[in-house]
Amino acid sequence: MSPAEQPRDKGVARFRTRLFVAMMVIVATLTGLSFYLAQRKVTADAERNLQAIFQTELSSLDKLEELRHAALTDRCNALAAKSRIHAAIEDNAIDLLYPSAKDELRGLMEGEEPPPEQAAQSLQAKFYRFLDSKGAVIKPLNPYDVGKLDAKTEAQLALEKLPDAEQIGYIQENTQAGGGAIDEVIAVPIFSSDSGEVISALVIGFKPLELEDKHTGMKSGIWTNGQLHLPALPRFTQASLNDKLASVLANSDKGENYFRVDVGGAPQLVFYKRLNPDSLFPPAYEICVHPLSYSLAELHRLRWQIGGAGALLLLGGFVASHLVALKLSVPVKKLALDSEENRAGRKRAEAALASTAEELERSTRYSADASHQLKSPVTVFRIGLESLMAREGFKPEIYEELSALLHQTHRLTGVIDELLLLSRMDAGHLQIASTPVDLSQVVDEWLDDLGALPDSPEVKIEKEFPRGLFVAGEKRYTSLIVQNLLENARKYNRPGGRIRVSGCANGNNVMLTVGNTGRTIPPGENIFERFHHSSTPSAASGHGIGLNLARELARLHGGDLRLIRSENDWTEFEVRFSAVDGVNGVA
Amino acid sequence: MHLRGLLWLNAVFPILPVALLASAAVEGRVELPKSHSAPVQAKRYQIVTKGGVLSTQPPLAVVYLEGNFPQPVSLPTKQVTQKDLTFIPSLLPVRVGTKVEFPNLDDTYHNIFSYSPAKRFDLGRYRPDERPIPTQVFDKPGLVILRCDIHEHMRGLILVLNTPYFVMTDTNGHFRLDGLPAGHYTLKAWIDSRTTREKPVELKNGETFHVDFP
Repeated sequence: MSPAEQPRDKGVARFRTRLFVAMMVIVATLTGLSFYLAQRKVTADAERNLQAIFQTELSSLDKLEELRHAALTDRCNALAAKSRIHAAIEDNAIDLLYPSAKDELRGLMEGEEPPPEQAAQSLQAKFYRFLDSKGAVIKPLNPYDVGKLDAKTEAQLALEKLPDAEQIGYIQENTQAGGGAIDEVIAVPIFSSDSGEVISALVIGFKPLELEDKHTGMKSGIWTNGQLHLPALPRFTQASLNDKLASVLANSDKGENYFRVDVGGAPQLVFYKRLNPDSLFPPAYEICVHPLSYSLAELHRLRWQIGGAGALLLLGGFVASHLVALKLSVPVKKLALDSEENRAGRKRAEAALASTAEELERSTRYSADASHQLKSPVTVFRIGLESLMAREGFKPEIYEELSALLHQTHRLTGVIDELLLLSRMDAGHLQIASTPVDLSQVVDEWLDDLGALPDSPEVKIEKEFPRGLFVAGEKRYTSLIVQNLLENARKYNRPGGRIRVSGCANGNNVMLTVGNTGRTIPPGENIFERFHHSSTPSAASGHGIGLNLARELARLHGGDLRLIRSENDWTEFEVRFSAVDGVNGVA
Repeated sequence: MHLRGLLWLNAVFPILPVALLASAAVEGRVELPKSHSAPVQAKRYQIVTKGGVLSTQPPLAVVYLEGNFPQPVSLPTKQVTQKDLTFIPSLLPVRVGTKVEFPNLDDTYHNIFSYSPAKRFDLGRYRPDERPIPTQVFDKPGLVILRCDIHEHMRGLILVLNTPYFVMTDTNGHFRLDGLPAGHYTLKAWIDSRTTREKPVELKNGETFHVDFP
């Protein structure tokens, strides 16, 4: 494995790990959430179930109570209609009240104690009392006929006023002894048959209906007067539950609810329901205590099941995430590989570019330096030659030699100038001042010069050029372009050849074409390259700057220089200049 | 017909002492409570209860002279009949010691009883042809409320008075007591079970004293 692949593989592995961890986190969160929800639902269901049982039992109790109350109301209405009861109450013959009622209520009080399973349906009363017009208990003369009660218990039967509807209450007998039996009492108003007013009330005490403890394990009892009566519970448990109930009921504005409580170290669900809402008697509640041990065990089991399912889910998620992460990381790996290669390529290219730029800069600097360094000695050299030429007394051959040397210094100066110009262009320092330049005039001037050159071969010059063809540019450089092309056309011509110069305006451009006979340029040879040397050796060879400079200058002027063709003894260049607006309209 | 009977009774009893020429008289008017209910059919008096107060309907008052009068050896027997599930008369003033018969003139059983402090009794159930006719002697002054154990709406009143001088007003409240002994007395007007008004009177022989109870 190459060093480059190592970090890349590491990166892919990291990506895979991250992906895997992220998926696992999601799977674990979902599992945990569903576990929590499922558990909550199980708990809530269990509690709702118990509550439903409680309510069902209570509703069956309610029906029995209704029956009992209906029967009692009938009985009391019949009683109230009795003349003797009225007479006893209205005619202030209280002593005769209980004896008068005795016959009527005999059915309630006498008879055998019914077996427990029928107790609910029977109207077997334990005691009864009448209330006077102020709601106080009318004491019976002979308590044995009406059910004996101690004074404290009897006092609980009193109401602060006579009721106008039946009232249900729960009292505890022998309150001092504690844990005495609870009695359900029903107070029924007795209306005067004359005036319709409530003249008394009959309070009848019963053994309370009890919820049957079937299979639910529920223990039911009654809470009244701040005291819980639930004989199925041990006394100590009752006491602690009683405190809890007292605080809950004191803060509860609901008639019915449930709460959880730890009694004797065991968790219990306690249901309560107000038995006598809106009653004049003190509030009483049916209390059901349901041990949660069984349902807790059930819950525990369910929890394990759900937990197992969650673990399986987690495992499945683990495997699935792993697979998915693997699969997803394949394209990523490929991508990483590709990008690695891309990066390497780019780095190489950048490095090459940097070195090229460096080289270019170096060569530019070099050209400029070299040009400046060369210019001075050449000038000195030329001045020396010119002063020698000016002296007299040399042989004519020497003057010819000197003239040739002087000519060469002029060439050298030209090359140095061109090099300087090129280096300035390369450095981007060359600014052109664009003015209208009469191209025809420039061409004419150079054609004149061309003929005056000493070593020029015999060539025929054809010119097809309209007058007054103006281009936009700086005259120096425009002239330089034309000079280069014409000099080349002459230099590379064959003896007895010809040069053709033509120009025309073409829309926004002015085209100058220079063609010449002579050796053609082989295809693929880049003649515009700087310091280019022809692949075919020839006597007439330049220093390889002219064409390059001409094209650079043409481009700097917004035009171009290109080789149109070079075949069959004919080579033709074309320069494109920018036209001066409005000047060449008639071309 | 019954009204005439009542008037006759009222007329006859006070007349007995009239044999003695030297006697005083009282006349006047008792302001009776307004009757709110419609006139009763067949002019039967009924006992109505309102807020625990019993009174006759239409309102009537009993005016009597209170004092210490010698108890006669015997007193005539009075009657309160049960007819059409009502007591007739519905209000009967009697002197202490009077024996009252309760004949049943209906076709049904009646069971007349009273829990009143002045007289507690229970005649038990009896039929119209019950003989002897059930009776009670009222030997304690006070108001006795008559009820029937079978017909709980039936009410009757017997006002037991410790005086031979009493009279019922007419429906306008007018009354007249004749043959009264001269002297200082208190004249009382029983209006309902809770209201008895009284006025001192100075009776003189041969004179008629005028008393109005507002």
